[in-house]
Amino acid sequence: MSLPLAPYHMQRAAKMTDFHGYLLPLSFTSILEEAKAVREKAGLFDISHMGHFLAKGPDVRRHLNGLITSDFEAVPVGKCLYGLLTNDQGGTVDDLILAASGEDEAHIIVNAGNRTADFSWLRDHLPDSISLEDLSEGQIGLALQGPASSQIVALLGGGFDGMKRREARFSMGPVDQVWISRTGYTGEDGWEFFGPEAAILPVYRILSERGADLGLLQAGLGARDLLRLEMAYPLYGQELSPEKTAFDAGLDFAVNLRKGAFLGKDKMLEKRDDTGRERLTGFVLLERGIPRTHCPVIDPLTGDQVGEVTSGGHSPRVGGGFGLAYMEPHFLREFEQGKEAGIEIHGKIHRARIHDRPFLAGGLSAKNLSTKK
Amino acid sequence: MSSERRYTPTHEWIQSFGDPSRMRVGITDFAQKEITDVVFVELPKIGKKVPQGAEAAIIESVKAAFSIYAPMGGEVVGVNSAIESNPALVNADPFGAGWLFELKVDNAQEWNSLLDENGYRALLSSGTGGGH
Repeated sequence: MSLPLAPYHMQRAAKMTDFHGYLLPLSFTSILEEAKAVREKAGLFDISHMGHFLAKGPDVRRHLNGLITSDFEAVPVGKCLYGLLTNDQGGTVDDLILAASGEDEAHIIVNAGNRTADFSWLRDHLPDSISLEDLSEGQIGLALQGPASSQIVALLGGGFDGMKRREARFSMGPVDQVWISRTGYTGEDGWEFFGPEAAILPVYRILSERGADLGLLQAGLGARDLLRLEMAYPLYGQELSPEKTAFDAGLDFAVNLRKGAFLGKDKMLEKRDDTGRERLTGFVLLERGIPRTHCPVIDPLTGDQVGEVTSGGHSPRVGGGFGLAYMEPHFLREFEQGKEAGIEIHGKIHRARIHDRPFLAGGLSAKNLSTKK
Repeated sequence: MSSERRYTPTHEWIQSFGDPSRMRVGITDFAQKEITDVVFVELPKIGKKVPQGAEAAIIESVKAAFSIYAPMGGEVVGVNSAIESNPALVNADPFGAGWLFELKVDNAQEWNSLLDENGYRALLSSGTGGGH
């Protein structure tokens, strides 16, 4: 499926890739250079594929709160919240970001691959008094990320650089039903824009044409995946699935147990207390290699498979191969105490040890890591 | 004196530089662009025997891992140690300093099964061919 910015990417000879049916830039020049630019200056990502919904009606935040892990009622209008949409077994339908644009209306940003399923899920689980609209069709989504973002966003005028971390706005000049937030999914400071082409194309033009003077590079999905993995942020379909709960994935921060009940909460708590479940952990390789999704995790003493890599990569900032893996609890306990694991790559076992999440600590321009997308 | 350079449909090249029994192997410019940032190359061990078309090396890029197949069968008699410390050479100079390994070929007849410059160009213009 072609998105509005595709012709601009083609003009820049971007390497394009299919992502859940959407044609998006994988990289413009080099994944490593683009990722470095985001950590040191700034990068601009096309995220037009992401789903953007508008829910309206009395008590919309209360109704949504019954479907997600975090507490949307505790968040004031104009502030973003990360959360997980749960199924009745406490597993994960999607991870998303929400923001109320008024007392009775909320914008929701969801993953591209889940857009249709999420829309049906929300429609089926929200009462008829809540209207739900999919604003995604024809929209442009942009993520400006990196320590120089506030200087670069100032090129737009409109006072966006005065926004606080996780603040969201919903209009741009005469156009409403847009989403502008000081958020991101790279660990760096930044802004995200979603809205109709007429509103967001000028933003793209100004950022891409004038941002370069301030060190901005256009960046693709390759850099985006590496940056989110350095922060150990989950990717739906890899770390998260209908079977995995927020606790399995170590996303405890995104679960508020003090708020009222939400769908699957009891099952999720049962699973949290089940000591037999696999849990997600971070690891780094002690020898040269790049772990990839589905690489087996092996107990070096027994040769048994004790887990599987969900995401892996190579980062000069982490110092080599690293990734996230689900591991069986009996092995994970030993791994946490310093035992090495074997990661099987191309039939060869590579030594690995545990690593704190996120993989990068300190020096990041977004200090608060509990936001997403 | 270097020989003509020939190609595989999976985007390897092979060429001799003087000694016709000692053939140098690398990947094409098209392949390095597809593979993107090379992070390291798992080179074969010297002395390893590889049949034509067998996996002889693995190139790991930020994006994915790519198998490199032997354009002709033979024994590995040399590897490019420069790319161990500087894997970016594979991207920067794929036909030159970014070569991968050298083969002492078993059967010179296999040369005839490879694509010449025109054949490889035709493959590229018809699409991406196989592999990578």
